[in-house]
Amino acid sequence: MQSFVDRYSTTSAVSQLRKVQRLAEEDDEYSDATWGSGAGFGNIMKGSPAFTVPNVPDPTSFLRLHTDDRADPSCRIKIQHGTTTLAFRFQGGVIVAVDSRATAGSYIASGTVKKVIEINPYLLGTMAGGAADCQYWETYLGMHCRLHELRNRERISVSAASKYLSNLVYSYKGMGLSMGTMICGWDKTGPAVFYVDSDGTRLKGDLFSVGSGSTFAYGVLDQGYRWDLTDEEAQELGRRSIYAAGHRDAFSGNTCNLYHVKEDGWKFIGNYDISQMHYEGPGNVPGAPGGGYGYDQRVVGRSSANPPEVVAAAAA
Amino acid sequence: MQYSFIEPPWRPRKGYLIMAADTTAARSIVKMKVDEDKIKTLSPHLLMAYSGEPGKSLSLKDPRDTVQFAEYVERNIRLYQIRNLYPLRPAAAASWIRRALADSIRSRKPYVVNLLLGGYDTATHEPHLYWVDYLGTMTEVPFAAHGYGAYFALSLLDRYHNPEATLEEGLETLKRCLDEVSKRLVVSPSKYKVKIVDKDGVREIEL
Amino acid sequence: MSIMDQNGGSVIAMVGKECVAIASDLRMGNQALGISSNFQRIFPVTDRIFLGMPGLATDVTTLHERLRFRLNMYTIKEEREIAPETFAHLVSSTLYEHRFGPYFIEPVMAGISKTPTGKYKPFIAATDLIGCLNFAKDFVVAGTASSKLYGVAEGLWEPDLEPEDLFETISQTLMNAVDRDAFSGWGCIVHVITKDKVITRTLKGRMD
Repeated sequence: MQSFVDRYSTTSAVSQLRKVQRLAEEDDEYSDATWGSGAGFGNIMKGSPAFTVPNVPDPTSFLRLHTDDRADPSCRIKIQHGTTTLAFRFQGGVIVAVDSRATAGSYIASGTVKKVIEINPYLLGTMAGGAADCQYWETYLGMHCRLHELRNRERISVSAASKYLSNLVYSYKGMGLSMGTMICGWDKTGPAVFYVDSDGTRLKGDLFSVGSGSTFAYGVLDQGYRWDLTDEEAQELGRRSIYAAGHRDAFSGNTCNLYHVKEDGWKFIGNYDISQMHYEGPGNVPGAPGGGYGYDQRVVGRSSANPPEVVAAAAA
Repeated sequence: MQYSFIEPPWRPRKGYLIMAADTTAARSIVKMKVDEDKIKTLSPHLLMAYSGEPGKSLSLKDPRDTVQFAEYVERNIRLYQIRNLYPLRPAAAASWIRRALADSIRSRKPYVVNLLLGGYDTATHEPHLYWVDYLGTMTEVPFAAHGYGAYFALSLLDRYHNPEATLEEGLETLKRCLDEVSKRLVVSPSKYKVKIVDKDGVREIEL
Repeated sequence: MSIMDQNGGSVIAMVGKECVAIASDLRMGNQALGISSNFQRIFPVTDRIFLGMPGLATDVTTLHERLRFRLNMYTIKEEREIAPETFAHLVSSTLYEHRFGPYFIEPVMAGISKTPTGKYKPFIAATDLIGCLNFAKDFVVAGTASSKLYGVAEGLWEPDLEPEDLFETISQTLMNAVDRDAFSGWGCIVHVITKDKVITRTLKGRMD
């Protein structure tokens, strides 16, 4: 029934895509590749971007059938799942910290993924879920933020930017887009963090963590979080939380990328190897406690045994 | 949800183990009971917390399943003590219980029970903790948790657990875990039972 | 999610010159959640034979207990130490007994056998989960990182390595392979068996 309605209605996402696709097919002779003016984003000129949709009666369920590996692990198209990303607001701005692992099944496809997307000097987006979805749409968002600046002679607010992204992905709802992202930045209202995902959820908040390792990050983050954290303490908390997730979650790890957003825009603080943080700590950085974060490293030589005095004396 | 970890109180050195479990017995979406004790005292120095496997279908989470197994274990450990006049040490008890689960998983109707076994070894004066799941997987650890709470508590314990903490400090760490779970978990339990085992045996405390 | 991936873990064994090496990682997880970073899945069988068991952790313990029992019975009845080849067949037949409800283990064995002429011959073998024996001349691998181990071992292994060189080769192979596997890692352990001693070392592996 749903597919029947979709086919003949003129307002559903699918039919709109079909319409755009028809249009795109018609002016094939002016393909983006020929002139390349928009570096692959050429179709911005025509309003909404167009995508090729599978030519089947119900593209939505067709895509779901072939990309949903939770329901069917043997499906053909695997979407990147494991990740840990976090962002929080505090007195000194916004801290954004992410891991750098990409997995395909149990295979670690890369350990050097950039999961923070630098939208513009005042806006950062994080990446969880489909890597391509996040990369494409957040870069696309960056272009619209620039257009907003040119049209209105002022920078876009974090709220508006995140709303733009949220509306965009919502129009593709049910087509298999997969992204859980945090749009972070500094605008007239001060530091701001918005959580946006492909279901269309958009939340304003102080502290978020997204991805398979998010629960582990939340554990450390919540317990250490205060609004009046110093810059050093906040950076350390971000690092320590990503380490916690990288350690416990099989699908997160390798390195931690840390960013700090202040009034004058974001700044890249550093890249920290999670294994090195386990054994030696993050190195000579402000706020670090010195020594490794690892449990065995932290409690080395300590014991919970309780030998009676006599035995203890004999041993000594 | 159960948490458990080893920490010794009263400096200098005094071995103890804290075990906590929520007290709700649920059936479908209904809380049938809010003061259920899910930590059994198997012998004077041995505790066992038990729960079903989260995420498994509701019929498998049947509380009768877990209670049935816990009582079976309880009676057999007791029988050993009656026959031999001394109780099994934690490692031996854990090994026997693990085997019971490992045999059960390949039977026609397996028990779906996850366990935390904590005891104080009166011979070596050391507390021991074993993480055991319904498959019969067993490993000795300094702290452990089962259930959805594990995903929040483990990273926290990696950060705050201290084998030489006093009992007060140990309970403080436990509170951090329980607070975090109530803050972040959608269906978080409201009440927990907390038990301690040390050289003087088992006792229950209020948080 | 295959049941063989439930707990993760990998084992590799390699042949050297009058020595063999066997190594594994130390992670035991519950799918993506890491539980223990000190889970031993390699066990000494005799002074010169080691057995590694990657696969489902519950079966690692159960099978270890069963094989220990069978081995003790063998030693008592025969009044001598078991030979590596014989032990491999003992493992194989124990697994095949459960042909229709297998243990989810792919054992890897490494040992040194004494030939009738008094010489020492390195021995490695692996079986699948129902006991199909594979006697290799170079190396055997098993576990969640097996496909990655094959690649690295194929590139690094060479014949007639001395014990210390064999240690380096097997360590590099294992460490680099598990760094590409989400379900293996959290530290490694290596045993090099020579005719008169066993060298055991734990390696500082990546902890993520």
